[in-house]
Amino acid sequence: MMSSLASWRSTDPLRFRLVVLAVMWIVAIAAMSLVSPYFFRASTVPYLLQYVPILGLLGLGQTLIILAGGPGIDLSVGSIVSLVGVAVGGLFAAGVDIWLASAAGLVLGALLGLVNGVLVNVLRIPSLMATLATMFAFGGLALATTMGRPIGGFPAEFGWLGQGRTLGLPNAFVFVLLPVAVVLHVMLTRTTVGRHIVACGNDDRAAHLSGLAVVRIRIGLYVLSGTLAALGSIVALSWFLAARPDAGRGMELFAVTIAVLGGTHIFGGTGGIPGTILAILIVTTLQIGLQLANISAAWQLALIGVLLIVSVSRVSLWRRLKNVKA
Amino acid sequence: MASVADTRPTPRFVSPTASRELALIAAIFIVGTVFTLLSEHFLTVNNLVQTMRAGLELAIVSAGMTLVIIMGGIDVSVGGILAVSAIVIGKAYQAGLPVYLVTPLGLMAGTLLGAWNGFVTAKLKVPPIIATLGSMYIFSAIMFLVIGGAWIAGLPGTLSPLVNGWVGVVPASAIVIAAVYLVAWVLLRKLPFGSHVYAIGCDEQSARLVGINVDRTKIATYAFLGFLTGLAALLYVARLRNVEINIGTTVALEAIAATILGGTNIRGGVGSLLGTLLGVAFIRIMQNGLVLIGVSSLWETVIIGSLLIVVLTVDTLRNRNNPRAA
Repeated sequence: MMSSLASWRSTDPLRFRLVVLAVMWIVAIAAMSLVSPYFFRASTVPYLLQYVPILGLLGLGQTLIILAGGPGIDLSVGSIVSLVGVAVGGLFAAGVDIWLASAAGLVLGALLGLVNGVLVNVLRIPSLMATLATMFAFGGLALATTMGRPIGGFPAEFGWLGQGRTLGLPNAFVFVLLPVAVVLHVMLTRTTVGRHIVACGNDDRAAHLSGLAVVRIRIGLYVLSGTLAALGSIVALSWFLAARPDAGRGMELFAVTIAVLGGTHIFGGTGGIPGTILAILIVTTLQIGLQLANISAAWQLALIGVLLIVSVSRVSLWRRLKNVKA
Repeated sequence: MASVADTRPTPRFVSPTASRELALIAAIFIVGTVFTLLSEHFLTVNNLVQTMRAGLELAIVSAGMTLVIIMGGIDVSVGGILAVSAIVIGKAYQAGLPVYLVTPLGLMAGTLLGAWNGFVTAKLKVPPIIATLGSMYIFSAIMFLVIGGAWIAGLPGTLSPLVNGWVGVVPASAIVIAAVYLVAWVLLRKLPFGSHVYAIGCDEQSARLVGINVDRTKIATYAFLGFLTGLAALLYVARLRNVEINIGTTVALEAIAATILGGTNIRGGVGSLLGTLLGVAFIRIMQNGLVLIGVSSLWETVIIGSLLIVVLTVDTLRNRNNPRAA
């Protein structure tokens, strides 16, 4: 029994990670129910799902970038959220239709992603430094062009996406995050492009030698990440009906945490969408639960930090434990 | 046979960062000239000394950051270390401890937190960026939990002569900076420890094989950065006599930017303390000059970010034929 479990674990580490994450989620729900009497109720579900889409979109983009190896990472997604929000707000204030402005925001997000992709893959600047620099530049631009003032006054019907509900569930979850996650999962597991992405992450030299356009694939993923961040920004705009120039601050760290906690190896090659989704649910459950229990937001920060470190160090610790047993 | 001329070029030591240092000196000179022409307040003893005092903490932290980056690591949690050390110092002062006890306490807090980062990267094998991101969450959580949104104000300025004082015609802050850089230089260039740091940054596996205690060197280097950050926290408290809630939010990114501007290779193995000091000077002079000529300080991050992108691009293009840059 134990040995079969061990062999299963070593043959499919990703599936094992999913089981661990599912157990962690159940433990989180149980713990939060104990901490707060308001948590374990049907009304919590839509409330919880309200918070999921924005971080979820960023986490999905981050997962794909990290998965494709390099090592790739995108620290600028939070700043893209801020900058796209401000740009859409500015266009709207200039009299452009809000939905048209949102479409322009998506294009801007793609372009910002393209900048990252070119810096990392064509100019070959380490992704960490390149996206740290663009995080400064994009975030600073959002603050400087608005002088730090939020842009408000969006029409109420624009709130459909971020505030509206269908069958009791938030529209942003049903019509944005769920379809995006399903499409990305199918792409990753059922199409050649998906296999190419994983191949790049496993061994980019081998992938290159077998004829894959590694550089183009990776640039494409940065563009995708930028677009998803822009989508997240639009969901946030529609939720709050205002564009804050620092709306995305700190989100990049959450996005990386979610992707890594979800089982995506930080140097690429292993990982997937379901793990990321479970990781988002765990993080959001803890956040909402602590919020309902009126526990300081500082504990949420500490928890995220510990989760981030543990989820990466786990692998080597387990290996050591296994060696001790053997 | 003896008449065959030795055609090998005479071995000549050229510092790999010398051209960067010269370029920075030229850049500082040009920027300084422009600001002098645009603002009558720029080239005054008072303004320059103020600029140096404002750059004191950044200069000290950047010295440690240079060692960490040369070693192939990075630390984005220094802002958190600065905050927690400052809080330890503030609380110790409030508890009525004398300065000769508060000082070692503050330095110790910084050193311990730095050593924790080293432990997580070296022993738990977490990539430094992820480890220090996680630590940053944890440190800022500690900060929020201890001071809970309020300032610690009205602290004694016993150490403020170190910042504001003069020794003859030399400002005391210049002596502090010189002392810190001298210590760091001796560590890096005159002791075996420094060669180990360079060796690990060049090739960690080889460093291990030649018998360098890689883990211990890593922990010591991160601890040294923590120690310097603790020192910066002491001077911060001495300068401002309070601990703000947003202490240290930009110091990590600025220190990394200054180090990279100064010619230290983000991949490790190459770097100089002089370059870093010039990088700090350049950043602070830019900030000071922009404020004097009436540009909003919100543009600073945009400028630092763009500058970083340009420098990284130049770096990678220049090193195109260098296998280490691949």
